[in-house]
Amino acid sequence: MISEKNPVKAARYGMTIDLDRCNGCGACMVACAVENNVPPAHAGANDRKGLTWIRVYKVDNGAEYPDRRSVFVPVLCQQCNKDTPCVHVCPQQAVDLDPATGIVGQMPERCLGCRYCMAACPYHARYFNWWDPAWPAGMEKTLNPDVAPRMRGVVEKCNFCHGRWHAARERAAAAGKPNTEPVTYTPACAEACPTGALQFGDLNDPASLPAQAAKNPDAFRMLEKLGTEPKIYYRSKRDWVREIASAPKPGAGSRVASAPTPKEQAHG
Amino acid sequence: MTTTRRNLFKFAGGSFVGALFTPVPWRLITDTALWSENWPGIPVPARGEVRTRFTNCSLCTAGCAVRVRSIGDQPVALAPVANHPVSHGAMCPFGLTGHHLPYHPARVKQGPVEQAQAAVADAVAKGERVAVLDLRPGRTASWTYRRAMAAIRNGVYVAPAQALGAGTAVNLANAKTVLSFGAPLLEGWGTPGNVIALRDGFRLIQVEAVESRTASLADQWISINPGTETALALGIASVLGGGSPDYSPAKAAAATGLSEQQVRLLARELKENGPAVVLDASGSSAVLALNTLVGASGLTLVTRREAPVPEAWKKAAPVTELAEIPEHSVRVLLIDESAPGEYIPWSEIEKTLVPDNPVVVAFAWERAGYGRHANYVLPTAVYPETTEDIPPAIDSVAPVFRMTAPLVTAPAGVVDAAAFIAAAAGLVPGDALGERIGAIHKSGRGVLVASSDLKQTPVKDVSADDFRKALIAGGCWLDAADEKAPAPRLPLADPKPHPAEAADLPLVAVLTEARGSVAPVSPLMSKLYEESKLRLAPNRAALNPIAAEACGVEDGDRATLETPYGRCDVLVTLDAAIPPGVVEVAARPGILDICAPGTRAKVVRV
Repeated sequence: MISEKNPVKAARYGMTIDLDRCNGCGACMVACAVENNVPPAHAGANDRKGLTWIRVYKVDNGAEYPDRRSVFVPVLCQQCNKDTPCVHVCPQQAVDLDPATGIVGQMPERCLGCRYCMAACPYHARYFNWWDPAWPAGMEKTLNPDVAPRMRGVVEKCNFCHGRWHAARERAAAAGKPNTEPVTYTPACAEACPTGALQFGDLNDPASLPAQAAKNPDAFRMLEKLGTEPKIYYRSKRDWVREIASAPKPGAGSRVASAPTPKEQAHG
Repeated sequence: MTTTRRNLFKFAGGSFVGALFTPVPWRLITDTALWSENWPGIPVPARGEVRTRFTNCSLCTAGCAVRVRSIGDQPVALAPVANHPVSHGAMCPFGLTGHHLPYHPARVKQGPVEQAQAAVADAVAKGERVAVLDLRPGRTASWTYRRAMAAIRNGVYVAPAQALGAGTAVNLANAKTVLSFGAPLLEGWGTPGNVIALRDGFRLIQVEAVESRTASLADQWISINPGTETALALGIASVLGGGSPDYSPAKAAAATGLSEQQVRLLARELKENGPAVVLDASGSSAVLALNTLVGASGLTLVTRREAPVPEAWKKAAPVTELAEIPEHSVRVLLIDESAPGEYIPWSEIEKTLVPDNPVVVAFAWERAGYGRHANYVLPTAVYPETTEDIPPAIDSVAPVFRMTAPLVTAPAGVVDAAAFIAAAAGLVPGDALGERIGAIHKSGRGVLVASSDLKQTPVKDVSADDFRKALIAGGCWLDAADEKAPAPRLPLADPKPHPAEAADLPLVAVLTEARGSVAPVSPLMSKLYEESKLRLAPNRAALNPIAAEACGVEDGDRATLETPYGRCDVLVTLDAAIPPGVVEVAARPGILDICAPGTRAKVVRV
């Protein structure tokens, strides 16, 4: 029982992503979409209007061919632990930071679709549902019953597979474990990563792989200077890759290779 | 107090302004938003008993072990099996979405089966030449085709040529240096999990014009001029003391854009940091012949035995390559593209057909492949509806046998290609897969790997019935590598000038996303192709902005890719990472019909 004498031991779920192992296969992206019932692209969808809770960007070092080098950077909600920008700006309280897990949750039923959170998110990790979710005929039978499809007009984002967290809690309860203890589970993206680049765990548990990897000198967080304390730690031995985290000025260093062209921007 | 018109207006105005300071309007907005968000039509996922099943993915020869989460009998998620001895807990995005394939909008579900049967029977009765083109040889179904063709008076069994020779496997565990000429080693080549597991044990040198995903993670990426792989291989061969006498490192350096020193260094590394293996994306004999010079045979290239087959099957028709068939000799061509495999350009196939009224039957799940050229397209089951075994991958050193069993029921109209062809040849229909499993069990060799707990049990300790059931339930038979097997005979260099070298076209084609023939793809792969541009979509051609300007095309334009072999419609994508002078295209049937790696091309705006 949760009580003052037996309080909940807060977890701080986080992830490390080894950029030197990521081969840009995209298994994490589709595994996430399968798990969370994210629909296939609508006819009008492109990289500006698509729904990808985790998106792998190809980023280069800014040099000209043949000195150009690339790295694949999976970007998902960074689960900011402090001054979480999206939580602050939401007028509907549709976003919250769960103190028991450290997961930034999104409640589509409360979302008004104002997209303030998208504007506030420094990581572009939030996506707006432009269309009603639709699957080819028959494919809706393959939907995961643990996650409800979201409606048109709301913002969605990664929640570290909250459905899996709930399932792990149920399993722990069924096994007679106290409900004050953090549970162990793996989100779909980390489970699907064929190279083991994505490692998930409780950062409060010093024995967990992410907690250990986060202390590695090669580890870094995106836009750390903002002070939002993201719980996604990236790793790379390459200096120019680590510099991505500080978002150098365009032309002065690395850049996102798949960034939209002016023509694409004009077409929205 | 007198009620005036002015007072009424003041009251109404005041009420309206006052209401704005109450929760009412905001609540209305919220409720309106919620109401409009919950339109009917949003699917509600079905609920039911959660089951876990196991199978093996048959979308490529990697045959990754799969854990299936089902609600009732309906698969809702596929996941890799951690620590599996063959697939090492890896799956690719295509495999992860395999359970969507039965619902693909492009799927063919009905076909003219009776008409096709009559056409084939007519040709068989007249003794005309009937050929089976098997795009994924090495399966039990392949043996059925061979037996059927042996039973027909003029039957031929055709399989794509294997660059390293049939039965040759790449032993990456023995390799210290891997020199890859554009082979997608870290992008799904062989068994992805096996390559990843062994990756720290070898130095990977990737030679190619474009920085592929493999090149970005290789220990060294050597960027050469597009289409000069053969020249570099001949240059390295000359340093190693082989190859063409009139080809020097200096000549190779001039062609590839490297320095002579770099060519010599590459050759030295292959020689001194062995055992080494040389791989090539296009199967060029000049490149693969380097393996002979570096002594790969028996070390990094080994002979793999085939899983046992019943003795009675060995009177089957031999495996014939397409090039061995006389031109204009085949009356009936039966193409099995139900299982994704190699793709042979249609122009090469067409040469073998009789000029007047050939009969082409394609067993396919959609029409985008050879179905475009076939008289009859007969629908087949698609993974995970199929019951079939998966031939071993190129990096599988030991004999292995695993199969996929149906996770969902196939539609009523689908055709079993093996049963169709066997019936046409008058073979007694039987349970070929069951006979094969029986033969493996009878051999008493190897171990059975259980799907759920990965427990390994010697086959001799398992009953025949349990062995069969375990394989159907997603298990795997593994044998030990044959240490005494003779070293494979490697191809000799046969440097032919590329047929397109003479063409006066400004660009060189580089193929990416080579997934063989018409590989089924889930609609959810739009996450990678359209919604993120992580991968080059099958209908796109990527160009450097400088090259695009020279061609007069802009990003997003519709264009035609023209090569000496034909033309194909594409959408233009600009990518500064592509070297000028190169057009990168995703391999798909229409493209593969007109384009091989190194083919010269041009892009013309529509």
